[in-house]
Amino acid sequence: MIYFLGKYLHPHFDTFSFLRLVDYLSARSIGAALTAIVLTLFFTPIFIRYLHRHGYVDQSRDTGIASASDKAGTPSIGGAIMTGCVLVSCLLWCNLSNVYLLVVLLGMVWFGGIGLIDDLAKTKARSGDRGLSETKKLLFQALFAAALSIFLVSPFSPLPSGQLGAFYLPFLKSPLFNSIWIYIPIMFFFVLVVGNSVNITDGLDGLAIVPSVFVVGVLGVFGYLLGNTIWARYLNYPFLPGTGELAIFCSAFAGAGIGFLWFNAYPAQVFMGDTGSLAIGGCMAVLSIVLKQEALFLILGGLFVAEAASSQIQDKIGIRWLGRRIFLRAPLHHRMQHKGLAETKVVIRLWIAAGILALAALATLKLR
Amino acid sequence: MIDYSRLFLPGRKLGSMQKIKRILLTGGGTAGHVNPALAIGSALASEGTRFLFVGVRGRVEEEVVPREGIPIRYVRASGFPAGISTALAKFLLNLLIGTVQSVFILLRFRPDIIVGTGGYVSAPVIMATSFLRKIRLCKARVFIHEQNAVPGKLNRLMGRAANRVLVTFPETLTFFPKNGALVGYPLRRRIARVSREEARHKLDFKIPEGRKIVLVFGGSQGSRIINRALVDALGSLLPARDRLFIIHGVGLFKSREYNAIEDTEERLRESYSGEQLKSIEGFYVYRAFFHNIELLYALSDLVVARAGAGSLSEISAMGLPALIIPKSNLPGDHQVMNARAMERAGGAEILYEQVTILNGRLSEYIDGKVLAEKILSLLQDDNRLLEMSRHNRTFLNQNALALIEQQILGNRAVQVPAPAVQPPEAVPLPGNAALLARLERAHAKLRSTYRPERVISRPQDLEYLKNRASSLLLHPEWQERNVGVKLLGLLDAREKVPSLVTLFFDREPAPLLKRLLGGDFKQVGFIRRNIITALVRLNECTPEVEKALLTGLGDPYYEVRVESAHAAAFFGDRLSSPEPLIAALIKLLSDPVIDVAAAAAEALGKIGSRENALPVLLNMWDTKFWRVRAAVLRGILHLVERGEATDYEMLEKQVPQFILTSTDFKPQFEIRSAYRQLMESVSRKKAGGSVQ
Repeated sequence: MIYFLGKYLHPHFDTFSFLRLVDYLSARSIGAALTAIVLTLFFTPIFIRYLHRHGYVDQSRDTGIASASDKAGTPSIGGAIMTGCVLVSCLLWCNLSNVYLLVVLLGMVWFGGIGLIDDLAKTKARSGDRGLSETKKLLFQALFAAALSIFLVSPFSPLPSGQLGAFYLPFLKSPLFNSIWIYIPIMFFFVLVVGNSVNITDGLDGLAIVPSVFVVGVLGVFGYLLGNTIWARYLNYPFLPGTGELAIFCSAFAGAGIGFLWFNAYPAQVFMGDTGSLAIGGCMAVLSIVLKQEALFLILGGLFVAEAASSQIQDKIGIRWLGRRIFLRAPLHHRMQHKGLAETKVVIRLWIAAGILALAALATLKLR
Repeated sequence: MIDYSRLFLPGRKLGSMQKIKRILLTGGGTAGHVNPALAIGSALASEGTRFLFVGVRGRVEEEVVPREGIPIRYVRASGFPAGISTALAKFLLNLLIGTVQSVFILLRFRPDIIVGTGGYVSAPVIMATSFLRKIRLCKARVFIHEQNAVPGKLNRLMGRAANRVLVTFPETLTFFPKNGALVGYPLRRRIARVSREEARHKLDFKIPEGRKIVLVFGGSQGSRIINRALVDALGSLLPARDRLFIIHGVGLFKSREYNAIEDTEERLRESYSGEQLKSIEGFYVYRAFFHNIELLYALSDLVVARAGAGSLSEISAMGLPALIIPKSNLPGDHQVMNARAMERAGGAEILYEQVTILNGRLSEYIDGKVLAEKILSLLQDDNRLLEMSRHNRTFLNQNALALIEQQILGNRAVQVPAPAVQPPEAVPLPGNAALLARLERAHAKLRSTYRPERVISRPQDLEYLKNRASSLLLHPEWQERNVGVKLLGLLDAREKVPSLVTLFFDREPAPLLKRLLGGDFKQVGFIRRNIITALVRLNECTPEVEKALLTGLGDPYYEVRVESAHAAAFFGDRLSSPEPLIAALIKLLSDPVIDVAAAAAEALGKIGSRENALPVLLNMWDTKFWRVRAAVLRGILHLVERGEATDYEMLEKQVPQFILTSTDFKPQFEIRSAYRQLMESVSRKKAGGSVQ
């Protein structure tokens, strides 16, 4: 909104000349971030009281670790307020005619919506195990994934026509292949896998939010650079006009994330719940795809990948098929706790790991 | 011949006045299905009735039915497979083809009545009938006869399409509440009431006077387990040789692996000396097959048999006391269910096949000594035999054929006479998974006061469930074997400790693919771990168990090592030779997995001594992981409490050396403690108040 306001006002009125700042992505990004932080810090306590009053609290399952049982009774739909603040901030600061932005926002809201229904169902059923059924969740996610995949290769896609089916690897300048037909299923599964990857990581207070901020932040940097003709050429990346707007979204997200962390740090006053983790997963997935950095996610989102992979391997291959545990404990953060690390230590160490991975991902910008 | 009344009064249905012209019989696979079909057919037959039998090629019906002079047609059918696999696809394909074939047969033969007696061949026929009825091309009435106490999946489904389901056992009525009718089992044989003296005369062998006569047989084919058990039992029955006489129907079974007659004779020769055999001849006679089984029924005092519905019906018809040995692991466990029904009615005692160790492997078996003991104890108690006989006479309806006729030919509103015995409470027992869940919940709630009897009250039920659990140990899927192990621990099946130990030592390797991805043996990690847990629950510290623990301490899977260490600590002083265990535990102190090292440290505290354990433990003051250090300190505490560590000054100097920094802590939430204390106080006051 401020964008349109600024764009309309500053050429015509001298008093509003300062509004030419809206032309600069960096200015709007900082504005978005600050707005998001302030909104989150302000509204979250109100939202927490609301959740308590209406009984939307965590229905904990016993995971066998002492601290877990103390999580019962903490409100768990914090993701809603986070998503909300990101949305408001984007509405204020973004150029809403940018298709990339709309697609990412849609992804976040769609996945977040699925998570919200699941969380609400769980609180109604008073059990941590009975939310929306797995199949229904996957079905809705698949719907979006399919729609997105098809949209992005269609003539309406915001991507430049030469890049529609291109699939890039981090260190290589030219795409691995450029075929729409192979790319569509890749996009489809990427959305499903990444969309759900944050869920497992959201097991300890503060564990999921900071790495998410790192990931989205780095993707924001990519967005800025890839949307800039000079930088894109300099770094040997495909130029994607318009992705610069995504940097504003990512800043808003970072702001909201930090605001959320204010309350989510151990011992947490609110959890993000499935609402939050799916929303984050959704927007990370769409961001990665739209910026053509799917493969980079293995490094950038390495923490989420490790957590999700270890959990699936342990469950599907180990416990169900082989009849033994393959890892000492899964997912990764449980293993660290089991070995004798306090929750806070695990969280901070994994933040450090995520930070290192984010830096490594940034490093690939130059290592081509 | 055209039935004019049907032409002019299209809405009129068959009434009792109409003659049944065409009857379609279907059912087969085994004699247990074919015989009732033929019996019912012969009861319904009258002038001008036409029959058609529908069966499957290559099964009993192909042999038997043509000999009766009944035309037979064949359709494709196969059994209902357990899970999703290629067998399921084959089953569905066969079902489809069989149904299409049946449709043509039905259209050509146009039966008035269809009688299905089970076996998977009835499925396509009944499906074809339902289909044709829906499109009004078939007006036949469908009757299904269920021979077993618990109907199979197929019959339960088909039962809904039938006009009436005729059941043998009273408890089966609960499965067919809308259209079930209790009739009994239609017997073909005219079991004539022959008097004892007459019967004795007609035999081709002599039975001395004053003997109690026991008839033992495992069906027309015979049963390897029963035959072998009986031969083994003869030795223990020798002392009673003047008081009893055993007639043994060995059976006609002949295959590469087992030849009933030859195997029995060989076993007799190998087990007994010439002298013994001479004595045995005085009270034991065996044949492959007895053609005159009515005579044998007439003079027996006790029957030992399998639990097929046919045998049980004959035994009931004769009113004989029975010792039933049901065949285990049949689909739906149907023989066991039939046997339990007769046991509940008071007419039979059950001897279950046991899972025991034969030649170092687990298999099903009956101990001859146990069989002998059961026979003798039953024969000695005349009152009990009389009671059992009385109960059996009223157990199953005797006039099954008459009732069936009434059901099929008569007015649909006819009342079935109330069974002489009230159908006993058919409280279905939970399946294994459900049972396990219940027992685990009870164990978690009751902790030290847990006993399986508090969940399963009837001792016969407990006995049956223990048996069912132990036969799970032989299941091809590891998940089921796992359930069996857990159940045996929770059901307090002490007698199964040797079987569990044998299973534990089974080191057959897993298939290559699984091994590449981290698997080890066929008895997977979870199974081995749960065996140790069960051994602890069963609380028996035999030398074999100790050997198992020792092996467990060296197991490749870490959870097994942990459980074995816990078990060693649990048995503590009861261990007869703790030294090898202590040595193994000391090795485990440097195990890379924290849980193992910690468990080993505590176990050493419980069974070690000041010489072998204390120095090692003290030496771990700087070991890397704090959880292990904490366990070591607890281990030393155990030693102190047991009086094994008395040099207190030395301890006061050395123990503070321990590195006490840790990377974890247990949080205490003040508000939650306050909340808990308040709630506990409230509930205490409430309980205290209501006591007054």
